[in-house]
Amino acid sequence: MDTFYYLVQNMLPVSIPLLLVALGGMFTERSGVINIGLEGTMLSGAFAGALFAYAIQGSGLSPNMILLICMIVAAVAGAIFSQLLSFAAVTMKANQVIVGTAMNMMMPALILLISKMTFNSDGVTTSVRYFIRKVPVLGDIPVIGDMFFKNTYLTVLIGFLILIISTIVLYKTKFGLRLRACGEHPHAADSVGINVNRMRYIGVTISGILGGIGGYFYSVGITDGNINGHNGVAGFGFLALAVMIFGQWQPIKIMFAALFFAFLRTLAYSVPLIPFLDNLNIPTDYYKMMPYVATIIVLALTSKNSRAPKAEGIPFDKSQR
Amino acid sequence: MQDKNGMNSKNEKKKITEIKGFSSFTSALMAIVIGLLFGFIVMLLANPSNAVAGFRYVLLGGLSRFGDVLYFATPILMTGLSVAFAFKMGLFNIGASGQYTMGMFFALYVAFMFDLPPSIHWIIAILAGMLGGMIWGFIPGIFKSLLNVNEVITSIMTNYIGMYLVDMLIRSNSAMYIPSMTRTQYVPQHVQIRSLGIAGSNVNFGIVFALIIAVLLYIILQKTTFGYELKATGYNKHAAQYAGMNGKRNIILTMVIAGALSGLGGAFAILAPSEIAGSSMTYEPINVIAANGFNGIAVALLGNSHPIGVIFSAIFISYIQRGGTLASLVGYKPEIIDLVIAVIIYFSAFAAIMSSAIRRIFANRRNKEALITEPQIENIEEDVGSEIENLEKNSNKEAE
Amino acid sequence: MENENYIIEMLNITKEFPGIVANDNITLRLKKGEIHALLGENGAGKSTLMSVLFGLYQPEKGEIRKNGEVVKINNPNDANDLGIGMVHQHFRLVEVFTVLENIILGVEPTKNGFLNMDEARKKVVELSERYGLKVDPDALIEDISVGMQQRVEILKMLYRDNEILIFDEPTAVLTPQEIHELLQIMKGLANEGKSILFISHKLNEIMEVADRCTVLRKGKCMGTVDIKDTTKEELSRMMVGREVSLKVDKKESQPGEVVLSIRNMTVPSKIHKNNAVRDVSFDVRRGEIVCIAGIDGNGQTELVQALTGLEKMLTGSINICGKDISKASVRERSIAGISHIPEDRQKYGLVLDYTLEENLVLQRYWQPQFQNKGFIKFDEVRKYALRLIDKFDIRSGQGPVTIVRSMSGGNQQKAIIAREMDKDHELLVAVQPTRGLDVGAIEYIHKMLIEGRDSGKAVLLVSLELDEVLNVSDRILVMYEGEIVGELDPNKTTDEELGLYMSGAKRDDVKEIYNAG
Repeated sequence: MDTFYYLVQNMLPVSIPLLLVALGGMFTERSGVINIGLEGTMLSGAFAGALFAYAIQGSGLSPNMILLICMIVAAVAGAIFSQLLSFAAVTMKANQVIVGTAMNMMMPALILLISKMTFNSDGVTTSVRYFIRKVPVLGDIPVIGDMFFKNTYLTVLIGFLILIISTIVLYKTKFGLRLRACGEHPHAADSVGINVNRMRYIGVTISGILGGIGGYFYSVGITDGNINGHNGVAGFGFLALAVMIFGQWQPIKIMFAALFFAFLRTLAYSVPLIPFLDNLNIPTDYYKMMPYVATIIVLALTSKNSRAPKAEGIPFDKSQR
Repeated sequence: MQDKNGMNSKNEKKKITEIKGFSSFTSALMAIVIGLLFGFIVMLLANPSNAVAGFRYVLLGGLSRFGDVLYFATPILMTGLSVAFAFKMGLFNIGASGQYTMGMFFALYVAFMFDLPPSIHWIIAILAGMLGGMIWGFIPGIFKSLLNVNEVITSIMTNYIGMYLVDMLIRSNSAMYIPSMTRTQYVPQHVQIRSLGIAGSNVNFGIVFALIIAVLLYIILQKTTFGYELKATGYNKHAAQYAGMNGKRNIILTMVIAGALSGLGGAFAILAPSEIAGSSMTYEPINVIAANGFNGIAVALLGNSHPIGVIFSAIFISYIQRGGTLASLVGYKPEIIDLVIAVIIYFSAFAAIMSSAIRRIFANRRNKEALITEPQIENIEEDVGSEIENLEKNSNKEAE
Repeated sequence: MENENYIIEMLNITKEFPGIVANDNITLRLKKGEIHALLGENGAGKSTLMSVLFGLYQPEKGEIRKNGEVVKINNPNDANDLGIGMVHQHFRLVEVFTVLENIILGVEPTKNGFLNMDEARKKVVELSERYGLKVDPDALIEDISVGMQQRVEILKMLYRDNEILIFDEPTAVLTPQEIHELLQIMKGLANEGKSILFISHKLNEIMEVADRCTVLRKGKCMGTVDIKDTTKEELSRMMVGREVSLKVDKKESQPGEVVLSIRNMTVPSKIHKNNAVRDVSFDVRRGEIVCIAGIDGNGQTELVQALTGLEKMLTGSINICGKDISKASVRERSIAGISHIPEDRQKYGLVLDYTLEENLVLQRYWQPQFQNKGFIKFDEVRKYALRLIDKFDIRSGQGPVTIVRSMSGGNQQKAIIAREMDKDHELLVAVQPTRGLDVGAIEYIHKMLIEGRDSGKAVLLVSLELDEVLNVSDRILVMYEGEIVGELDPNKTTDEELGLYMSGAKRDDVKEIYNAG
């Protein structure tokens, strides 16, 4: 039972970045733009958040206060960075995959450059302790308390909050309806007076915000508040894309997909703690490869009945009525 | 007048701005200028007093080390060709990095673990590298061809899988790996690629091979039925299928060839002799994805996916990388060049659109009557009669 | 003054594109409560004129007035605000949305920031009852019939309280019975005070429903006439500029031996669970044109794709001249003697970024004539291309080296026809070969099909145009929901009878004839 709690407690903070970034990806693709640049977007948020945390860590604010402030900083950074995609993809009608790739290359170089110049290291190291040993009251609930309110981070709560908000926005509001129309049939949306390009800008910006937050939460929940240019976010931006596809561009399914991938990864890093797996004596590197292998398998399995937004990746051209 | 014999076009004085190759050249140039300008601004922000000196190193530093420029151009020329070749087929081989890493590993494995006659050992090692890349290109190829899984995401995944796999295999191999230095041994001298013997440089036969391969690819693409099929598929896969071309086979073949090219790049890189006599390049298993695979994307884009163009863009990228390294003499970090390369990729994604827009502005100035507003630009080449087809084409695109 | 009668006036509209005047001084006046037809061939400038009305293009000259006042329409929203709505030829409906969601898209009622679907539903149900437009508000668009989709488009306009309704070629996708129903709806809307602009090139429909008609030809306005004072022949002359014989000149067919023989073909659908083609059997003989008629989406596309090898059959067999090609690849079928003029010439028929000569050898580049050990013989390609260009009169800017994308639709189609007719073949499969072309090009293509027939080839024509079906073919097979439900003689049948078969109201057991033999 302890192993189970341990896995759940470790899995949740890992799943949150995947969840948020995949939700971000969902919003862009639902608007009709493919966002390969999520890895770079995550890094922008992670770096901005960690940098800001580094700046204010001595100010006496509580760790969770710092987390909230830096979350906003990360969101802003991600939103700004994502404009590189929206400008190129929406206004310039460029190849969205190439632009995303460029964004992914840009960010590590930028982090290394800034870090080497200012800290003489490969990244930012902070000393904020975001870890929550036990949430008062809620942590005492049997089972549930052990699973969700012990040895955790504030990020988990925020992550699920954002999930709920995203679901409502997508399905219950005017904005959500219009956004989905833009990704499915932009000419239909255009013909009823919806500004497709504006919606796509907004879609990309939302992914920037969620990607930025997701990146920062990655540094909080997985790398102890640090981030460096070499390891970056270890392909989480790409995994999030797989999570989004696995989740069929639907928020709730995306959550389950994120939990599944987070579980695989947590397992990979917990092998020594699980006697059964430990006894198999397989090198841990094999387990580290698992999420990536799983992605390929999952994509292969879902490829037949995958329903991506129909217009994704196709620049909207008004004159081609 | 109808031009029925098609020969008139040769006699016509063609304005240089209208030639296709020229326009892709100007757009590449524009992306480069913007990228370099960006680098200069970063330098100015970082340290204004040395910026001019640093930027001069970036621009001109490569001249003094041209042997090194070619030396480092070799691997990115190969990954560039790899990406470019797949592009021609309409595939985005973002997996060049993993194929490159696999190529390095296979080459290293043959170099260290096989006991072969010195005269052919290095050749076998190179071919092994090619094989490694082929296997790693085959995976996204077969998933794309049989299950229609997007090659972009599978090849990103194979990048990570390849990197973890190779790191693990190297760390666990005591014949190759020196744990205290977290790198591999030097490749035995007889397996290293022969140096061209240019003084003060390690430039070796790798670049010669790479150039020959580029020319071969050019011939394949331009002169053969395979190249004809490949490009047709890249332009319009439905028409290719309609014409009876074997799309599934061609996808796999293209990805395997692309993988082979990247794998060769890895072999050329890892088997190359290094500055210190007897030493070679080494592999560090530190869970980092090979950058040369991604630089290949920049090379391919700048070269407009044309094998000959790719030669020049690979040399150019290597050239500014050398310059960037030299800029550290005045205190700048070489990562500036990585940033510049990323910016160049970014802008080359829409440089063609920008340059044609600029040309239009110039054209408009020449004849002031032209009253063309933004949304109509697309329509200009179409006559009104084909409006309806556009409509149909579009609705079909949507119906897919 | 007279102006008071007009709800919309487009006065002296001129719209130019480089090298072409799409609309040359065109005036169109729509009276309140009338049905006004806009007649013209493909490429006559109807679409451009409507784009001007919708603010997609700004005219160089001319003005638009509503109720006598000059208005400026900069984008579709302006048009919408003026109460102008349009049913596009290709519906603008989001397939994975419900009927209700599609209707409210863009003008969504909300309550506290959330969508208020109940209010929307109430209004839609009310409208659909008032105008007799039956729809299921909760059905997904992809699950409903084309006819119902069109009703959804009409409801979209009514939901927005539009008073000027534009129908762009609305009958192209409907059966004769559905067309009749639509024309009744249009009349009903006009009686309720809506003003209707009806864009069409079908004279019968215009004669039946319109009050007045404005005719365009090659960008120029040929005048506006009262329907009660005119005839079909006069309208046709105004539209084309010369006498058009709608009858195609051809000899009686002399069917020879069987070339194509299909037995029990079943093809799965990519969209639906049901099979797209179900147990279809028929023959096509040398020297005859067999036409597959039917409403779009009844399995014709899948039938042709399975025949030409682009899709796999579930069951069944295909024979060409006695050779079983059921499992053959596209290439092998091409060698066996199938030539294929595809439905979508830009998607399948051409590589638009290749040159004309490269496209002309698209089916033959691998033959020894054009390649040697894998290397293309470019001089042979050039020679061949020049011959075809000459023979089929394909016009282009730079001859064989013209990039096909820059060619006009008619010449693109000519290039395909040249390629497919010149290739050794026994069977020519032509799918909607005249779609989107003007009368001259249509006549040319019909002539080529009949020439092919007379030279002893078998021709399988798939067409959605009733006129084409009745005039060109020697035998008609009607397809409905994936099955062949009738075999008709074009000389003995009528529009009405065809329509009954096309809508599934009437069916014969055609299979028996073939399965017995």
